[in-house]
Amino acid sequence: MKKKLHILFVLSFCFSFAFAQSRVIKGKVTDQKDGLPLPGVTVSVKGAPSAGTQTDLNGLYTLTVPDAAKALVFRYIGYKEADLPITGSTLNASLEYDPKQLTEVVVVGYGTQKRSSITGAISSVSAKDIANTPVTTFEQALQGKTAGVNIQANNGKLGQGISIRVRGVASINGDNQPLVVMDGIVISQDNLSGLTAATDPLADINFNDIESFEVLKDASASAIYGSRASAGVILITTKKGKAGTAKVDLSASYGFSGPSRHRQFLNTTQWLAMEERAAVGAAPFDQASDPADFPTVADALAADKAYVEGKFTQYSAGSTNWTANNTNWEKQAFQTAPQQQYDLNFSGGTDKTTYYFGGQALNQTGILKGNAFQRYSGRVNVDSKISKILEVGANLNFAHVYNERLANDDGFNTPLQIVALSPVTPVIDPRSGLISGTPPGSSSSFPVYYNPLISVGNEYTHTNIYHTIGTMFGNLQIIKNLTWHSDFGIDQTNQNEDSYANSLTYRNTSTKTGSGTNAEAIQVHFTTNHYLTYKSTIGTKSTLDATGGFSYENNHFTNNSVSGQQFPSDAYRTIASAALINAGTSTQSAGVLVSYFGRANYAYDNKYLLSVSARTDGSSNFGANNRYGYFPAGSIGWVLSQENFLKSFQSLSNLKLRVSYGLTGDAGKDYYRPLGLFTGTAGYNGVAGQRYSQIGNPNLKWEKTLQTDIGLDWGFFNNRLSGSLDYYNKSVDGMLLDVNIPETTGIAFQRQNLGKMYNRGFEALITSENFVGKFKWSTSFNVAYNKNKVTYLDGQQIKGLGDLNYVIEGQQIGVFYGREYAGVNPANGDALYYLNTKNSDGTLNKGTTNDFNAAQNTVLGNAQPNITGGITNNFSFKGFDLSFSFYGSFGNKIYNGGGQYMSAEASNGFDNQTIDQLNYWNKPGDITNIPEPRLFYANGTGASSRYLETGNYIRLKQATFGYTFPKALLSKVGIDKLRIYVNGSNLFLITKYKGWDPEVSSDFLSDNITMSNDFYSAPQPRTIVFGLNVGF
Amino acid sequence: MKRYNKIYITALSTLLILSACNKQLDQKPYQSIDQASAILTAQDVQVTLVGAYNRAVLADLYGGGVYIYADMMASQTVYDWRGTFQTQTDMVNQAITIDNGSVNGTWYDGYQVINATNNVLANLSKAGSAAARSEGEAKFLRGMTYFDLARLFGRDWNDGDPASNLAVPIILTPTTSVTNDSYVKRATVAAVYAQAISDLKDAEAKLPASNTFYANKYSAAAILARLYLQKGDYQNAIIEASNVISSGAFQLNANYADEFPYPGQIHSDNTSEDIFMMQVTPQQGFNTMNEFYASADNAGRGDIVIKDSFVAGFEKDDLRRGIYQPDSDGNLRVDKFDNVDGNVHIIRLAELYLIRAEASLRLGQSGGPLSMVHDDIKLIRDRAGLPEKTTVTIDDVMSERVHELAFEGGFFLYDAKRTSTAANQVSVGALTAFSPKLVFPIPQIELNANKNLVQNPGYGTN
Repeated sequence: MKKKLHILFVLSFCFSFAFAQSRVIKGKVTDQKDGLPLPGVTVSVKGAPSAGTQTDLNGLYTLTVPDAAKALVFRYIGYKEADLPITGSTLNASLEYDPKQLTEVVVVGYGTQKRSSITGAISSVSAKDIANTPVTTFEQALQGKTAGVNIQANNGKLGQGISIRVRGVASINGDNQPLVVMDGIVISQDNLSGLTAATDPLADINFNDIESFEVLKDASASAIYGSRASAGVILITTKKGKAGTAKVDLSASYGFSGPSRHRQFLNTTQWLAMEERAAVGAAPFDQASDPADFPTVADALAADKAYVEGKFTQYSAGSTNWTANNTNWEKQAFQTAPQQQYDLNFSGGTDKTTYYFGGQALNQTGILKGNAFQRYSGRVNVDSKISKILEVGANLNFAHVYNERLANDDGFNTPLQIVALSPVTPVIDPRSGLISGTPPGSSSSFPVYYNPLISVGNEYTHTNIYHTIGTMFGNLQIIKNLTWHSDFGIDQTNQNEDSYANSLTYRNTSTKTGSGTNAEAIQVHFTTNHYLTYKSTIGTKSTLDATGGFSYENNHFTNNSVSGQQFPSDAYRTIASAALINAGTSTQSAGVLVSYFGRANYAYDNKYLLSVSARTDGSSNFGANNRYGYFPAGSIGWVLSQENFLKSFQSLSNLKLRVSYGLTGDAGKDYYRPLGLFTGTAGYNGVAGQRYSQIGNPNLKWEKTLQTDIGLDWGFFNNRLSGSLDYYNKSVDGMLLDVNIPETTGIAFQRQNLGKMYNRGFEALITSENFVGKFKWSTSFNVAYNKNKVTYLDGQQIKGLGDLNYVIEGQQIGVFYGREYAGVNPANGDALYYLNTKNSDGTLNKGTTNDFNAAQNTVLGNAQPNITGGITNNFSFKGFDLSFSFYGSFGNKIYNGGGQYMSAEASNGFDNQTIDQLNYWNKPGDITNIPEPRLFYANGTGASSRYLETGNYIRLKQATFGYTFPKALLSKVGIDKLRIYVNGSNLFLITKYKGWDPEVSSDFLSDNITMSNDFYSAPQPRTIVFGLNVGF
Repeated sequence: MKRYNKIYITALSTLLILSACNKQLDQKPYQSIDQASAILTAQDVQVTLVGAYNRAVLADLYGGGVYIYADMMASQTVYDWRGTFQTQTDMVNQAITIDNGSVNGTWYDGYQVINATNNVLANLSKAGSAAARSEGEAKFLRGMTYFDLARLFGRDWNDGDPASNLAVPIILTPTTSVTNDSYVKRATVAAVYAQAISDLKDAEAKLPASNTFYANKYSAAAILARLYLQKGDYQNAIIEASNVISSGAFQLNANYADEFPYPGQIHSDNTSEDIFMMQVTPQQGFNTMNEFYASADNAGRGDIVIKDSFVAGFEKDDLRRGIYQPDSDGNLRVDKFDNVDGNVHIIRLAELYLIRAEASLRLGQSGGPLSMVHDDIKLIRDRAGLPEKTTVTIDDVMSERVHELAFEGGFFLYDAKRTSTAANQVSVGALTAFSPKLVFPIPQIELNANKNLVQNPGYGTN
């Protein structure tokens, strides 16, 4: 390597000497639009890009050029390149703004690259595309903006987990979230939540500080990140100042949210009738199981009826007038949720130093009672050329997030579980004047369950997150064309969760005198990267750039928590006052990654492009012999539109074929997995103990994904119509898998490298400038099709967290697998299931049975969508602008895990029922899908395809209407820019799904396998905000 | 040439940094230790033994699961199920599915205890002076666990041929890695009973008479007595029951209710009547009995409402019916398990009197005045405030068992099974005692992981 560098240096010297004879050219570069000087424009001699300079603050330049030079080239990001002949010693240039050029330079791993020379599959989203989206996190804002990137929030709670899947689910036990790299530093995405569901560390990032996103989707683009790149990479570049006048931008918005959809439940009359009917349905069974007590069915029915009617009185707050109330509990879970956001940014700089200071205050209220999210963040980006050869800079992001969180979807105290309460129950118990169920008074069985409204004000989980990401970097130009880059970054998060539930929540917490937990998680993620970049032109037609270096990452976690009970009174809320410390723990863990990487890009005549990259990663996740993984990738590009045989097609402005092939890896998120371990968390009655906790696997090694991508970039009519088309195939081998081993060993599973899987698919992106005159209309459309299939698991079946999600050979990850519901026996109202036993000829026996156990599990549908896409339309006329974005997702089913309670035709207790249950079987001959109600006889409530529904939907994610005031008017009052807008999100939804929202993955049922489960999950909020942007 | 020096310096410093970084790749866990260094000293053996108790008091095992799940399959005439947990509803409906999570929990928790005890037993040579006691405690836990797994996952001793009916795999060595030997087969009911008897006999021999809240000599004898009764080996049942009773180490509490203290959710010690209890504290263990039997007044789910007819079956003056009281909503509850952090009853002295009396009668001994049977039952009835029975019959003993021990040990199911014959089966809800639906299925996940296992009859093949 060193020798090669040596030769390159010698070569570059030779070029320098060749231009020894010279003269001086001066000039000024201005913006064609307003004639203002353009600082920082690259001016170089045509044919010798290495001989160049940059314009200063006043747009002036001085360049010594060889005698032979005929023309100068002026390049500036965002402007069309100008190529002007040298006519004397002065050469002024006027550059034309070209918005399309903004994406000309693309951020790639450890560097930047010209869009035209990219050979990998990279999607870019610029800040403009997501500005002012009234959501909490940038992931939500990115939804539907790029092909093949499927983003989904768990539910409508604020600040909680969001899944991002680039080109499908990449792994079973590995890391499925793409690697997120912000300004060159890997950002931690580890969930630090110790209480309730996962929180989203990326929610700490103010996306208004972000300039652009690049999603690296294939091996060619991502393999330089080697490990962790199998799930794709998202590169984030934050805003930087530009040389020139200082700019001040102020944004403010105010709005409110509500649930995007409601779900209908039985009213009082309907509920009373159905429960009575359930008693009738239960009586014959009660008689059969206890003939001593109930000699006849009539005896059983009398007892059941008395019991049910006793409950009616009990749930009617003791009143025998059961129809006095008709409470719509579902609406009680929600609130109208105001939100406001303020951003203030300063940016600017000189030709030597640029700066960006950004600050934000965000205050959102959740649509569920008790849910809120606040973020206060600041950013400082400074970049200074302190000498001709040395540039240094620092990026600092600090944020405080305060999140008032709610119990998980499976908690009796989560607001939407309120729908189980009976419509006969009044919100306020007339006997006490308090919310029904509030102690003192009957604590055990009024209302039917704990009333989540009691938790509002009497229980909280306050999460305070202090997240700081700081980076310092330096670029040293060692010799011409060769730059040394070093950076050091620390991504540190302190997350404190303080939860408390007072005595009034007793029925839920089981502690009569209050309980609380305080948990502190600290993550310190240290990263340092060092690499050399070499960029050169060889001869007149070839360019070569090469990057090589190494990086080191250390990730350390510390967790402490303490729980207390027995508080003196409800006035005491911190654990200092708890008489009983019932739990406490303190743990640590750490992982290290050491990496070496290199990449070379070669382009010939802007036509033939070649890129190779390689990375070696050493991970502390593996034992000494399997620590290092090697991840090479290569790609070629052919710009067909530059070929003479296509030059005659005037309308064709760009046609590029890309092919890439390479390997990426995954070390898994879990540390120490090769080791066989004992743990000390096994005490007994206050005496210390230890137990066997993990079975070792010293042979554990990297999971590897072989990726192929074939892509075509195209553009017509000067790129007014452009797009790309990609085919990819990602094959995973040696998957990191928790393989079930016989539990008779005392251990349930072992981490092994087992299994093969692929994701194959197509992605298409089309952008079109439909109108470009005064009335502008542009459309951007993306669609992706992904086929995921597990091809080998050694016959294993892995069950997810939910009732029906599995991993099975020959199927998608997370496929729904279980009993197939066959409807209702018209003769007797029994729920029926298809037997699905194998016939001797291999076909499935589609006979039916009322015995759930006699029916065999079968594949019931996919949990992952296979087609996702988005379409965004932008219109502008004079100062008005209008845009709307649709997002669509197709191909998956959704399992309603709450169905066995809320859609159980009153066969599973007194839970209120969804309105569709009214169509229950009532008498012989009835043809319906809803079985006979049989109180506590669980008729058809087992986990089956009965509770599966299609999850297809199309949703209007965003719509914005804005007006920008004319400059002429504003300049009089010293304002540079003023825009007012109104934005609506989740305004409407097209779906057949009967639940609240098909965009769902219940927070306690979400992992790599468990997807598309609904369980009293809140819908996405429908939000309307009004805002303004002012620039000075 | 100055530029080249820069390169060399850079390269050299890079190499130095790299070698330092590579050392960082050796990361050791903070909370756990390598299995190779886990059991080296006498103290290590002792803490491993404590770890076995920690596993035993998990929810689906001796946190109460082995007893309450058995009763769920058999108490349709005793209580009304008002719960919404599907896994438990299926038990009450006598329609357990092969993927029932609680059934799998009992299986897995059981083998965690067995592996923990095997770790102790394989390292007794390091235990020093505590070797005999450690062996006894480990074998007590292992033997009791095998007995309960055999009762739940296999057919009853009485039901068919125990020498050919399958129970659960027998594993006597600790796990260190997954090998071909890990793919075990189910042993017969007879073999598992034999293993349990052997373990419990060793435990009885090696354990001291007193051992704080850990298992002692009489814990082993008491479980052996229960086992022999289940097996119909009345002679040995009498011997083991007498070993406990005549030791004088335990006394019946003066009041029946004192056996079930409810001291405000703070951990309480065993009473003089308790022979062995699993210890539950706010920090460790789980009381499954409290979860399902106790009303919300007492931190339970309140899923089980006792039928009036059950309480009506008590004799009029029976003080024991006082333990059945309506909760604040008027639902009749059994108040034996009202302490959320209460210890879990495993076996107490009253049961030993009942075992001895029953076994004696079944061997043809007298229940008349001055007989041991008469005196044993008189003790029980005296405390309950009931007049003595001049001549005690087998029906009297069985009635006392129900009224004394109801809900404590899965007796609704286990007694129904052991008092049945193939021709004359006791009815259990809508089924009869030997119905295959009253035997747990082998968990589907375990069948998937181990092809050497076979499913129980009545659960199909999948």
